[in-house]
Amino acid sequence: MAQQAAVQTSYRRFTSVERMEHMILLVTFSGLALTGLPQTYAAQPWAKGLIDILGGIESVRIIHRFLATLLMAEAIFHGGVVSYRLFVLGYRASMLPGIRDIRDAIQWIAFNLGLRKDHPHLPRYNFGEKAEYLAVVWGTVLMAITGFMMWNPIATSTVLPGSVIPAARAAHGAEALLAVLSIIVWHMYNVHIKRFNRSMFTGSLSREAMEEEHAEELHKIESGETAPPLPAEVIALRKRRFWPYAVMMSLALTGGLIWFITLENTAIQTVPRRESREVAPEVTLTAGDAEIGEALWPTLRCARCHGDTAAGETGVPSLRGTALTFDEFFTVVRSGIPEHDMPAFTPLEIPDAYVLHLWEWLRQADEPAP
Amino acid sequence: MSNRMRVAVRIQLVLGLFLFVSGIAMITATAQDAQPTAEPADTQETAVPQTDQPVPPAVDGLVPSESYCLLCHAQPGRVWTLPSGETLSLTVDPQIIHDSVHGFSNPEGPLSCVDCHTQQFFPHPEPAADNVREFQIERYATCRDCHEEQYTSSMDSVHGAAIAAGHLDAATCVDCHGGHDIQEPDASRQQISLTCGKCHGAVFEQYQNSVHGSALFAESNPDVPTCIDCHGVHDIADPTTNLFRVRSPQLCATCHADAELMAKYDITPNVFDSYLTDFHGSTVALFEQQDPNVPTNKAVCFDCHGVHDIARVDAETSRVVRENLVTTCQECHPGATADFPDSWVGHFPPTLESHPLLFLVDLFYKLLIPAVVGAFVLLVLTDIIRRIRERTSRRARTQAES
Repeated sequence: MAQQAAVQTSYRRFTSVERMEHMILLVTFSGLALTGLPQTYAAQPWAKGLIDILGGIESVRIIHRFLATLLMAEAIFHGGVVSYRLFVLGYRASMLPGIRDIRDAIQWIAFNLGLRKDHPHLPRYNFGEKAEYLAVVWGTVLMAITGFMMWNPIATSTVLPGSVIPAARAAHGAEALLAVLSIIVWHMYNVHIKRFNRSMFTGSLSREAMEEEHAEELHKIESGETAPPLPAEVIALRKRRFWPYAVMMSLALTGGLIWFITLENTAIQTVPRRESREVAPEVTLTAGDAEIGEALWPTLRCARCHGDTAAGETGVPSLRGTALTFDEFFTVVRSGIPEHDMPAFTPLEIPDAYVLHLWEWLRQADEPAP
Repeated sequence: MSNRMRVAVRIQLVLGLFLFVSGIAMITATAQDAQPTAEPADTQETAVPQTDQPVPPAVDGLVPSESYCLLCHAQPGRVWTLPSGETLSLTVDPQIIHDSVHGFSNPEGPLSCVDCHTQQFFPHPEPAADNVREFQIERYATCRDCHEEQYTSSMDSVHGAAIAAGHLDAATCVDCHGGHDIQEPDASRQQISLTCGKCHGAVFEQYQNSVHGSALFAESNPDVPTCIDCHGVHDIADPTTNLFRVRSPQLCATCHADAELMAKYDITPNVFDSYLTDFHGSTVALFEQQDPNVPTNKAVCFDCHGVHDIARVDAETSRVVRENLVTTCQECHPGATADFPDSWVGHFPPTLESHPLLFLVDLFYKLLIPAVVGAFVLLVLTDIIRRIRERTSRRARTQAES
């Protein structure tokens, strides 16, 4: 048995479903980072360039939301797959971290620094992979919650304090930066730089890599210590119990997802902005302002004849302290007094509001000392 | 027509041509002498003098002097009835022109009538205008002869476009600056906004009560914007376009991001930067950068603060004071609830007191990101060190073996 295993050069690690899930993650994560980070750092030139390439901020937001929806759908699917493996096929939850992973990590560092002779014998999923998986789960949940808050700010603020929304925005951006930097440093190094690990695409891993990264798993495979599959009748029974539950959960979660993405569009849609305010000349006559009237006076033609202070000139009466009512005053301004060469003024030259301001000032103005 | 009169006319001409400046008083005196038979003003209905009027000789090729024009135009009560029935006064008070910017204070020297009223040699050509406004529109192109730049840019303005589209009430040069009585347009800053208010009465009313307008009129504040500081002078753009909207935050920022200016009024100059980091501001900035003509409802400064009726942010009437803010939010977010405005961080950097949750989240990630990424870097480094060590020892082994 040991002899036979020794000639085996590659070991199956991932099923086609797992590889497909990884591809979805790869595409959505990269796409979300590419469309999300430029939104967080919108003022940076690189962000502007990237947004330009992607077709503008509106399309960037649509892509981001599409990929987010895809990622959440994948998360629901993954929940189903994991439940099937754990509850139907009876697999061990080998992704769950434990005390041994901390021990493994410490031993690995010690080994790297030359403080320890042997590389730790790592299980099917080693501490580094568990950390990444945990980060993906934690990150997706956090991004979905904070994303929901930004996507549906009104619904959120009816339940939670409004101040949660900017905090969600900050967390969403910071978590994204953390995830991207971690992927660049940790994931890139471990599966691309240190050794190009194709197992996520081909499904199997070389013996050499198995020896270094999963020695314990390799030993179990070679010594036949892997848990035997459950009897077919047990699986069949479990399946019958699992499917109704799985379908119900999937439907509920998918419904939740649809609710999530369709609840509000206040943050997405560019609706025509409300009617522009009236800018055409239109006067709402309220009350005159003597100060304005006084300021207006020298600018109008009135001052030409009635004098700079409205005190009158030879042959032209003073208007200060006028006893005219507003209606009388208004009539004079608009109709003029032809027999005294007082011209009529149109609203274009002296708007209604001006007449009111002028009247208010003239009415209050002291008669000039003789 | 007496000999004495003809002589007087000639004397006038000579005096007018050679003693333009110093001869004004004399000219008026002789002009009065020269018109003993002038008819009563109110019967005069046409610009063309009657045959028994003093008819000035034709002046082909010779620039007529001011006094020459004033022979007729100084007569009081002269009016011209246009085909529409409207009348236009033809009487000119030379004193008004002399006191204007085109009078004696003009550094280029005072202008004469025909500098503006070109092609108006006597007898006058028949004007084509049907009414007073058409006549004014016809005439104001004369400003271009000296003020080409201002004239051209006004052609591109909302006013120019409106006139071109047939809305003849839109402002021309003289509607804002005046005709014969042109004064310095900004002799007082108040005057600028008062001029615009002549037509834009409703806007002016809002403005005069705003934080800007009230400071202008009450305190003659030198810093608050008048109409032209936001809208421009001659090249006034249409403020209802997407372009104006998307660029408006930069307009407000010219003053409100100026730390020195804002310090005078104890206003934070951080408003623009903090706006840009917010969802609204970053989106608008991206739109501006991508295509400023794209329509967007993402809030710009005036959506929240108001346009002409901007109030102090702590005033009761302010659209952004906490009591009124939800109503303002609802203009774009119709379902916004009482708690919704708290999702707006404001224009001040968040602190533990003002935005505890946001502040703590920021702090948390400020510590977490370097810690996690730093740890990963260190772990990767230990792995690299080990691999280098293994490689060198392997090489040493193979060398020793060979």
